[in-house]
Amino acid sequence: MGVGSSHGNGLFFRTLTEKQAEEIHLASCQILEETGMMIYHEEAVELLRQAGALVENGNRVYFPSSLVKKALQSAPSRVTLYNRNGEAALHLEGANVYFGTGSDTMNYLDPFSQERRSWCQEDVANAIKICDSLPNIDFVMSMGLLSDVDPHMINREQYAIMVQNTVKPQVVIAEDGDTLKDIIEMAAGAVGGKERLRQKPLFMVYTEPTSPLQHPKESVDKLLLAAENWVPTNFACGGVAGASVPTTVAGALVQANAEALSGLVIHQLKSPGAPFVYGYGNSPLDMRTMQAVYGTPEAVLFQGGVVDLAHYYNLPSWGYAGCCNAKVCDEQAIVESTMFTVMGALQGCNIMHDVFYMEFGLTGSLELLVISNEVIGRTRRLLKGIDTDKESLGVESIMRVGPGGNFLGDEHTAKHFRANWRPELSDLNSFENWSENGSKTMVDRARDRIKDILETHRPEPVTEEVKERIDTVLREARAKFGAI
Amino acid sequence: MSDFDSLAQIVISGDFGGAKTLTQKMIDNGVDPLEIINQGLMAGMNVVGVRFKAGDMYVPEVMMSARAMSTGIELVKPLIADKDMPSAGKVLIGTVKGDLHDIGKKLVVMMMESAGFEIIDLGVDIDPATFVKGVKEHKPQVIGMSALLTTTMLSMKDTVEALKKEGLRDTVKIIIGGAPITQGFADQIGADGYAPDAATATELCRRLIA
Repeated sequence: MGVGSSHGNGLFFRTLTEKQAEEIHLASCQILEETGMMIYHEEAVELLRQAGALVENGNRVYFPSSLVKKALQSAPSRVTLYNRNGEAALHLEGANVYFGTGSDTMNYLDPFSQERRSWCQEDVANAIKICDSLPNIDFVMSMGLLSDVDPHMINREQYAIMVQNTVKPQVVIAEDGDTLKDIIEMAAGAVGGKERLRQKPLFMVYTEPTSPLQHPKESVDKLLLAAENWVPTNFACGGVAGASVPTTVAGALVQANAEALSGLVIHQLKSPGAPFVYGYGNSPLDMRTMQAVYGTPEAVLFQGGVVDLAHYYNLPSWGYAGCCNAKVCDEQAIVESTMFTVMGALQGCNIMHDVFYMEFGLTGSLELLVISNEVIGRTRRLLKGIDTDKESLGVESIMRVGPGGNFLGDEHTAKHFRANWRPELSDLNSFENWSENGSKTMVDRARDRIKDILETHRPEPVTEEVKERIDTVLREARAKFGAI
Repeated sequence: MSDFDSLAQIVISGDFGGAKTLTQKMIDNGVDPLEIINQGLMAGMNVVGVRFKAGDMYVPEVMMSARAMSTGIELVKPLIADKDMPSAGKVLIGTVKGDLHDIGKKLVVMMMESAGFEIIDLGVDIDPATFVKGVKEHKPQVIGMSALLTTTMLSMKDTVEALKKEGLRDTVKIIIGGAPITQGFADQIGADGYAPDAATATELCRRLIA
C-alpha cells in the first residue's frame, strides 16, 4: 500500500513521498539497533532477548531491524471498535476518519458559570452525555480528571461513567495494569463477557513510552495486558519537540516512530496478530514560554507524516484533532482546533482524539466540543470530494434552464440540494434576523445547544444487571484502596 | 573592545569554543579569576537575561550562552576559593517517587543554572527519604520537586512531612511544579511556592532566597 489517503471521488492527500517514508523508517531502525531503548520491564526484556535482541545492563535493549520487520508483518492492517450494543462502529483502516474527545483535563470550563474549576463526577457524566448526542463525535475519552474520588480510583470511576452514559466506543487511560484489568472487567460486564469483548472490543487503551527512548514499567504492563486480551492499543509518544524529541519535524518523526515500533515489537512478540493502532503526537515546546503547545503548523504537518508512515506500514493510524492552546473558547481556539481537524481529516488519520482540549490539554470546553461537531460535519462533506456522475454534471438541467434562467425552480435543484452540507450551529441569517434572534455569537449558540442537550437527551441506559456488574468492580476496588 | 567585553560578547553569542579559548588566554595573562567571572562571563549572562525577558532571545539561545559561561567558569573555578565563588543560591531538585518524567525538571535546572544558581539534581523517582538525605548532605536553600502524574504528586506531601519530622523544614524553602500542580495544591501541602514554568521558577527562587 502506498502513502497518501484517497477520499471521496478524486480527493487525495499526501504529506510524505514513499521515498521520504522509507528514509524515516530506516533512520528509526538505525536508532533502534544502535541506540536502543531503556526498558524497565523484566518480561518484555526477556521476550526481546529470546527473539534475538541484544540486552545490556539488564534494561538497555538494542532491536535488530529484522524484529521490526517481523512485527510489521504480524500486526493487522485494520482494527474495528464496536459500540456497547456490539455493533461495528469504527473501522480503523484506509482513509476512514473518526473523532473523539481527550482524557483527563485538569480544569472544566463550566459553560454556564464560565468558571474554570475542577471536574466532579456529575460534570464528566454531563460531558459524556453531550458526546453521546453529537453525531460527529464517534468515540469518547474520559474528558475530565475527577477531583471528587480517591486518586487511585479516578480511571475506574471515569470508565464507569463513560460506559453508562454513552453507547459509543471509548479510548481509555489506565494508571497501571490493575486498573486496566478492572476496566476490562467493567467493559466485559457491559457487553456480555470477556470472550465477546475480545471479539468485539468496546475500547482501546492508550499506552505510551516516556520519551526519549524509555519504556516505564506501568506502560509495558498495560501494553502486554492489552496484547494478551486483544484489547486494541497504541504505543504513542507524546513528544515535546525541542525537549523530549528533536525540534525538526523529521527528527521528531524518526524518534517517535522508533518508540512506536519498539512498542509494536514487544506487543507482537507477546501476542502475534493482536490489534495495534500506530501513531503518536508532538506538542512542540514554545521556546519563549517553555510550554508544550498544541496544533502548531509543524505539529499538524508531523501528523501528516505519522499517517503516511502508517500507510507505508499498512497499519491503522492514531492522532489528534480539535485541540488548542486558547484559555477560553475564543477566536484562537477555533483557528487552532479547526485547522487541526480539517488537516487531520484530509491526512486520513483513522482515530483522532483531543477534540475539546483547551490550554494545551489542561482544560476542556464543551462549547469547543459542540462547535467542533459542526466543523467535523463540514469536513466530512469535504472528504466526499466532487461527484462527476451524469446526474451531478447536470447537463440536462443547464440546458433546461438555459441563458438567463433560474435553477431555484428546476427539479434538479430540488432533487439534489439536500446532499449539500447544511449548518446546525453556524448562523446564515441576514443581519436583521440574526439580531432579532438575540445577536448571539457562535459560542452563545453552542451554550444554548449544551443546555438543550442536557435537558432533553437521555443516553441509552445499561440494564440493572450490567449496572450491578460495574458497581461490583468499583466496590471491590474502593475497598482495596480504603476509599468510600 | 577589552577582553572582558569580548568575553561577554562570546557568552551572549553562545560560542562555547570561543569562551574556552579566551578565558584560558585571560588566565594565562594573569587576569583576576573573579574579575573574569564577574566582568566577563556573568556580565554577558546578565545581558542574556535582559534580552530573554524582552523577547529578543529564546530559551535554546539562553542555553547556549549558559554553556559558554560554564565552559569559562570550569576553567577559573580551580583558581578561586570555594567561599569566594559567586552563586545565586543552592537548589536541590528531583522528580518525585514513581515518576520518570524529567523534561520539565531538566528545563528548570537549565534555566536556574543559567541564572547562576548551583543545582544538585537528584534525578527521577526520588522518595522522601532521599530528599531528606540530600538536604542534610548539601544544605540547599531551596528544594524543588517535580511531578507529571496526578498519582505521584501526592508524594510531595510526604517529603514535606518527612522534612518536618527531621526538624529540617525551616532550613529550606520548598517549591513544586509540574503539569498537574496548582498554587492550591502547593498551599494544601505546605510548600513555600509554586511556579507554572521554568522562567517563573527561577524568579521564585530568587524571591524566596532574597
